[in-house]
Amino acid sequence: MSQVVKGPRDLQENVLAKGLCAACGACTNLCPYIDMVKGKAVFIESCGLSEGKCYDFCPRSYIDVPSLDKSIFGSYRKDLAIGSNTSIMKARAKDKEIRSVAQYGGAVSALMIYALETGEIDAAVLAKSSNRISAKPTIAKNKKEVLECAGSKYIVCPTVEEVSEAIRQGIGKIGVVGTPCQVTAVRKMHASDFEIGADKVNLLIGLFCTWAVSPDAYNYVKDLVGPANVIKLDVPPPPAKIFVIQTDAKKIEVSLDEVRKFILPSCNVCFDMTNEFADISVGTVEGQEDWNTVIVRTNKGEKLLQNAIGAGIIETKPLEKERLDHLCEASLTRKRRVLTQTEAEKMAYLTIREEDKLKIIS
Amino acid sequence: MSYVEIDEPGKRVLLMGNEAIARGALEAGVDFCSGYPGNPASEVLEALARAAKKFNFYVEWSVNEIVALETAGAASFAGLRALTAMKNLGADVCADFLMTVNLSGTRGGFVLVTGDDPSAHSTTSELDTRNYARFADIPLLEPATTQEAKDMTTWAFDLSQELGVICMVRTVTRLSHSRGVVTLGPIKREKRSAEFSSGDMWTSGSSTIECMFHSVLHEKLKRAQEKFEESKFNWYVGKEDANLIIITSGTGWSYSLEAVKLLGLGNDVGILKLGTTWPLPEKLVANHLKHAGEVLFVEETDPFLEQNVKILAAELAAEGVGPIKFYGKKSNHIRGEFGAGTGELNVDIVIRALTEIKKVTYPLREKEYSEKAQELLSSYVPARSMGFCAGCPHRASFWAIKKAAIWDGREATVTGDIGCYSLGMLPTGFSVSKTLHCMGAGIGTANGFGNLKEFGLDKPVIAIAGDSTFYHACMPALVNARWNGSNILFIVLDNNTTAMTGHQPHPGTGINAMGDPSPKILIEDICKAVGAEVRVCDPFDLDEAVQNLYEMLQNEGVKVMIFRHECPLAFPKEKKAKVYVDQDKCLGEECGCVRFCTRVFECPGNIWDYEKSKAKIDEVICNGCGLCAKLCPAQAIIVEEAA
Amino acid sequence: MTLEKNLLNIIITGVGGQGNVVASQIFASAAVRDGFCVSVGETYGAAQRGGAVMSHVRLSGETQYGPLIPEGMAHIIIGFEPVECLRTVGSFGNEKTKVIVNPRPVYPIDVLSGALKYPEVEEVLKAIKELVYSVQVVEATELAKKAGDPVMQNVVMVGCLAGSGFTTVKVETLREVIKETFAKRRPETNLKAFDLGLREIRKIKPL
Repeated sequence: MSQVVKGPRDLQENVLAKGLCAACGACTNLCPYIDMVKGKAVFIESCGLSEGKCYDFCPRSYIDVPSLDKSIFGSYRKDLAIGSNTSIMKARAKDKEIRSVAQYGGAVSALMIYALETGEIDAAVLAKSSNRISAKPTIAKNKKEVLECAGSKYIVCPTVEEVSEAIRQGIGKIGVVGTPCQVTAVRKMHASDFEIGADKVNLLIGLFCTWAVSPDAYNYVKDLVGPANVIKLDVPPPPAKIFVIQTDAKKIEVSLDEVRKFILPSCNVCFDMTNEFADISVGTVEGQEDWNTVIVRTNKGEKLLQNAIGAGIIETKPLEKERLDHLCEASLTRKRRVLTQTEAEKMAYLTIREEDKLKIIS
Repeated sequence: MSYVEIDEPGKRVLLMGNEAIARGALEAGVDFCSGYPGNPASEVLEALARAAKKFNFYVEWSVNEIVALETAGAASFAGLRALTAMKNLGADVCADFLMTVNLSGTRGGFVLVTGDDPSAHSTTSELDTRNYARFADIPLLEPATTQEAKDMTTWAFDLSQELGVICMVRTVTRLSHSRGVVTLGPIKREKRSAEFSSGDMWTSGSSTIECMFHSVLHEKLKRAQEKFEESKFNWYVGKEDANLIIITSGTGWSYSLEAVKLLGLGNDVGILKLGTTWPLPEKLVANHLKHAGEVLFVEETDPFLEQNVKILAAELAAEGVGPIKFYGKKSNHIRGEFGAGTGELNVDIVIRALTEIKKVTYPLREKEYSEKAQELLSSYVPARSMGFCAGCPHRASFWAIKKAAIWDGREATVTGDIGCYSLGMLPTGFSVSKTLHCMGAGIGTANGFGNLKEFGLDKPVIAIAGDSTFYHACMPALVNARWNGSNILFIVLDNNTTAMTGHQPHPGTGINAMGDPSPKILIEDICKAVGAEVRVCDPFDLDEAVQNLYEMLQNEGVKVMIFRHECPLAFPKEKKAKVYVDQDKCLGEECGCVRFCTRVFECPGNIWDYEKSKAKIDEVICNGCGLCAKLCPAQAIIVEEAA
Repeated sequence: MTLEKNLLNIIITGVGGQGNVVASQIFASAAVRDGFCVSVGETYGAAQRGGAVMSHVRLSGETQYGPLIPEGMAHIIIGFEPVECLRTVGSFGNEKTKVIVNPRPVYPIDVLSGALKYPEVEEVLKAIKELVYSVQVVEATELAKKAGDPVMQNVVMVGCLAGSGFTTVKVETLREVIKETFAKRRPETNLKAFDLGLREIRKIKPL
């Protein structure tokens, strides 16, 4: 299932030293030798091993797309733009309480709460922000705790650290909400020969993602808002090109370029906008703030969504063709860019089928 | 009750060299004692402190050696008998006062005891303080046995009182810390009262007056020399007009005697043992130079006698003395592992010198046996490095500093200082600190490193010092850093004791040398008064410690972090917690742990079960602190608090 | 090479913290009371922090010898730890030396960290045997545990020395000194440790 396994030295040379760390948290809660510092994994001490989980779980050490497709979906993807999928639609939470705290349609929170309440999972690993600017990973076990985690986070949060913690705590069924790199890391944990009990993660809801910013952005935002409290951060759809900070005092708008200065270098080599390895992937519907775009990918995802619809938790609408085309085009543009414009050295981690590569580029 | 205090003149008891010195002071009727803990001299003051209340005299640990010498100096000016004891490097610290109190003169007998450390077993320099006696023009006595350590100290008070000048008694580790049989003398207790009348003046003078006092000092030395010619502390044994004589002092005496005996040279060689070594008893020495064609000098550590006797010999050449072949450090006959003039003496070194001079061989053991022993040693005897004790808070502190510096990522420069935490340079301290000189040099040099930005060195600077070190030497540099804008993070490791030297109190412990309560002078108060950013943390709260250090490293200016946690040896728990490893949970050599406790953290209580390939706790060494349990990635170490 | 008559050179060797200073002090004090001339040379200070430490105890009829025993001149070596025992035997032992050793290893941190290897204790004892006259192995830490505290293995070993017949220092004098030394720190337990060592050594055949 996994490639030739390497270890911490390779992680340092091939990922960390190249500035490609995604700060996903997959490697930083496995042992005392690696810490997460300001959005980067840092080695404290050498463990001396030539093979290790840190390298094997990292989403930037290697991603073997065909191999992961096979192990998760049973076959290679047919859709080269947005990856394997069984259904695509618009969806949102029916519960207005959920929608009131959610960034957009609240579908992610609703599905997670439903999964908890039906016993599909025992706990959910989520990103929680008390100041609405930066976030810490947390383990949620009920509706209240899930809702405390609602809302988009733009500063990177090492969610997978808490996945390792949840497994160590012996939680039997774990759900995770993550960005594409985070979900990929968990899938690599599933596939790895290193057994840490990752099979306990039985539900992965992935978020669409174009970039995340480093924790340095915190001070930038704090300086803008002063003593006021932040209520919500948002990136309105193109062609707005602004970043919106809603405080309890006023609404601040800054050029998106100012915020882009803090984007993690790791995001620039990312191939995956729509979270292609999740059970269910969820994103925005441009211009319709009350709805989410939902891509269902696995049978498990299908079952959960259908049950949630049947139970009156989620309501859906078809996704208009123009919107789907637009989404696919955006995703392909990204793939094209990283395959043709990013230095080959930085893209060496990614393995895709040659025929797929040619199709994407043309 | 300690033998030092018993009032039974004539009784034979086993005393440590330092105890014998303390006893000598008691027998001289000492009134006022001061010092600073320092190996190998610490026990002198400790023994005196234990006896102080019984015999009604005063003992204090001073904040450093110069203050110690000054306070005792005042007692002497007031007519009391005073003693100050310190290690060799302490003489450097009090040199400023020594080089002026010699000129001002003294009243009550005033004795300076210095403890040298040849081979630097417990210190950072094997400097030879006899040079200070010559430098300061003061009388010098070197005891050769524990009995002499007592007798010379007593006599030093009388000598000092009669001449009106401070006298120095110099000991070394092998005398201070060895035990020998001593016949006790009577304990003298005179009721002296301290006086300072309006007519008194104690000054070293300046310009013409200083020169005058300097001349007076030389006169005192001449009078000392006259007494030394008749002193019972100098003697000659062996062949009467021997051609080869050994001139020796201190521990060299017993080593020379035993070497001569083992080589069967008792009827061939003479040994001139000097106890009064500055000024030299020139007439006595000259008498023996007259019949000697060869002289071997056996002394620790510098060629002090060697050079001074050679000068004398040169002066006597005009009277027909010589030519003499001189052997010792210059000729490389007396040499340690690393060469002449370094390392301590022992019988084997003297034996080797004599066999080379006499051109004979003397195998201490059969060659075959020695070779077999060497081979077995290299196969079966691994090195044993020093390390922090089990439960020591310094281990936690250095781990926190290492982590915070790596988090910071700018390759911080870390300077170290003197104490148990000097071991921070070794793997036991994760090789975190990079410099080591003298008391206070950590923050002193950090001042410089923190002000080199304009020259291109823009790394964060971390200085480390202990609590006792802080009071001793760090305060001026702290003020300097603030005044001169040096950007430093100063970490004070406060374990509430002066640990390395034997757990003596200091100004922060709330107790003084005599065991009485004293005001606690808090380090954080002083640092805040200087205007530094101050935080206090328990290093055992590792996450908090690292986080705080990391934050402070991002700030400008002078920052002080006090890592506060008591030394477990100084404050042992009544019942220690039971700590053991759940070997089922232990990850051992697997990815995720790779023997973190034994391989990285290296507490001696964490050992390896070679049979099961799992971690284990050595219950005899383990202190029960539970720090390893906090760090174990598998949470496999269990701590059961005592009932 | 001849060993000096009327002189007994004993070395007590171990790891810093094992209590060899106390052990040598007890033995030396008792010897003084029995009328011997005694010198003791110790390692203090930094070496105590887990390093190798030795006490040289020299008993004589009349002469006050210096504190350090010359190379190869130990009559008796008491080892609180096997590797330290061999280290000392290597420098100070000879074919006539008699050894009593506690075989319980105290691992140097150099070994625990994986940098160096600790030899098999059997090999170490064999190596000692090759260099000396006799080796008696005493599980002193186990005996100390029986007495009430494993840390008292040093007092057990003093008992072994007392009962070995290698010296003429009296058992009663030693017990007296032990009672005084530990007057405020569990004197009965320490005496028990001493007695266990005293009895045990008589049962132990040299290797």
